Formats: sequence, structure tokens, C-alpha cells
Amino acid sequence: MDAVVSTAKLNSNEIFDLMKQFITEVIGEEFVEEMDITMESSFTKDLEMDSIEIVSFSEKIKAHFGEQIDFTGWLSNMDLDQLINLNLGTIVNYIEECQ
Amino acid sequence: MPVIEVNNRGVHIQELNKGAAETVLLVHGMFSNLSIYYFNIAPILAKHFHVVMYDLKSHGLSERIAKGYDLNSMTDDLVSLMDSLRINKVHLAGYSFGGLIALKMALRFPEKVKKLAVIEAPDPNDDKTRDIIDDYSREFLEHYVTNFTDTTKVKMGKRQMERNHRMYEYLFHETSIKSDMILEKEFFSAAEISDIEQDTLLLYGSQSNCLGAGKKLKTKIRGAALLEVNGDHNIPIQEPVSVGNIMETFFNNG
Repeated sequence: MDAVVSTAKLNSNEIFDLMKQFITEVIGEEFVEEMDITMESSFTKDLEMDSIEIVSFSEKIKAHFGEQIDFTGWLSNMDLDQLINLNLGTIVNYIEECQ
Repeated sequence: MPVIEVNNRGVHIQELNKGAAETVLLVHGMFSNLSIYYFNIAPILAKHFHVVMYDLKSHGLSERIAKGYDLNSMTDDLVSLMDSLRINKVHLAGYSFGGLIALKMALRFPEKVKKLAVIEAPDPNDDKTRDIIDDYSREFLEHYVTNFTDTTKVKMGKRQMERNHRMYEYLFHETSIKSDMILEKEFFSAAEISDIEQDTLLLYGSQSNCLGAGKKLKTKIRGAALLEVNGDHNIPIQEPVSVGNIMETFFNNG
């Protein structure tokens, strides 16, 4: 289980690595190996994550960061275009600002 | 991602605002999963309520089960889930096939349901929905593309197509889902449907081919309110905020 709330403040590279780890856990290593995951990778177009996978990813963020980050609340305020274009860099920036 | 054991089977659940006094329990539709509520509708309801979402058997992240897709079995599953979460009574909402489960729950276990919200439940005997599995197949594929994406902008990639295909193959060919659903075709005609006594909200898309089913239920369930939301059968995806707000008001009043 990853239900450990981290208190150490992470820099953007560390957050990126953590997000990459979460994505790997959610979609599986065999798929991630075929992908070049970067800050520009979009969740839906590049990583091909579907809604239940984004639920799992959100839960990992919640479990890791706890109350300090309302990731689901942040997503729910986005319109469809924003969600389609949501990339890893935007999420890394959001988490960095919330810490 | 909490997967809990209910009757020795893994059930994926998500909960919000656990400390609240009253619980809203949300049931998704066939070939879908709890994500249909997770991002918009559940957070709106969680401003006031403890919200519980779960993946039906063989859906989402819940364990695959070969049998028991009739409404009695599905409501037995729901009672077991409530028991294992130690919840006695809930406001219950179900979408599409989940709406049928919610209706059956109100009939079989009225003591466990406070208010009932039925979203786009199809009439299992309607010409348009009789071939329910085929209809839902097409919708399901669209659902994955439209939920968080836009049909016109994003094509489903190879990995998602394969995932979806595997789920269809399993549900269609290795479970009793088709034959179990055929057994339910008289559900709306049965006299018992008029026995529902809970405050009932029927929420349908104004352009939905299931709207007739909503009108039929309104004539059968005493005092039921029928509200139309702009959209078709996919209103929880098309108008999640409206659907969430309407449910919030309904469960909050009285």
C-alpha cells in the first residue's frame, strides 16, 4: 500500500519521478516501457489513460500527499478541453504549488 | 484504491466525506464503472453527505464473477456491501442498469433506502432497449472516449481498445449477464413496481431514447418527480454538474 502521507517538500523533478511511478503502477510496466513519458505527455492522448485509471492515479496522489492536495477537486473544476489537454507538467506544477 | 472483501470477493469502493451523518450510495451502469460519479457528481454530493461509490462485479476494478447479474443478485451484492461498511440506510442513486438495481433495492429492502434517485434507467422490455447488451456495447465504447475526452478530438488508442475488448469478451461470453438480463424484461410491468414508497426522483435526458421509460415509471411510482436534463442517455457525462446539483437538492430537502 502507498497510504503514507509524505511531509517532505518535493521539487519538480522529484514530483515528476513520483508521478511517473504512479502511472507505471496504474497502467503497468510493460506499457510504460514503450512510452517516452515527459512533462509534455498528456493523460488521454499520449498515455491513453481511461477514467478508471485516472481514478486510481488520483487515489495514489491522495494517499501520498493527504489533505494538502485536493487533486480530484482541482480536476473537477476543469472543462472538457482542459482535461483533454492536461499534461504531466501541469500536474507537477499544481502539486509543487500546493505543497 | 481500496478493494475490500465482500462475501470473499474483491469489491472496489471509493468513499468521500466519511464523517457525514447521512450516506448517498451511487450505482453505475452496465459496462461502466464508478468513475462516472467520481470526478464531478460525487464531490458535489460530498459537500453534505458521506458518499459511497462501488464497481459492480466484473466492472472497473472489482473482481470478475461469472454469475449473478439478475436484479436479485445485484441487490444482494449491494446489501452485503452496506453490511460490510456498517451502513444501515442510504439515499440511493443509480444510473442506467444501476437505476434498475436502485429500483429493485427500494422494493426488496425498503428499510434500507431513504430517498431514491433513478437516472436514465431503461425499460428492460422496451423495443429500443430490449437488445440491451448490443445497445450498451456501442454506448460503452463511446463512454470511454467521451468521459474525459471528446469524440471529435481524441481517438481511442490501441491499449484502451484492447482493454475494452477484453472486458466485452469476458462479460458477453463468460458470464451470465445476457441471460440474466433477459429474465428481467417484465420488471417495469410487474405490479410490485407501484409498491415503491420512497421519495423518488427520475432524472432523464430530454433527448434520450430512455425518456419514455422515465415517463412510464412516473405513472407507476406514487409521487415520483420526473426531471429532464439537456442531453441523451449519457447525461452524467454530458451534464455532470447539473445532475450533481439536482441530486444534492433532492437528497437535502426534507
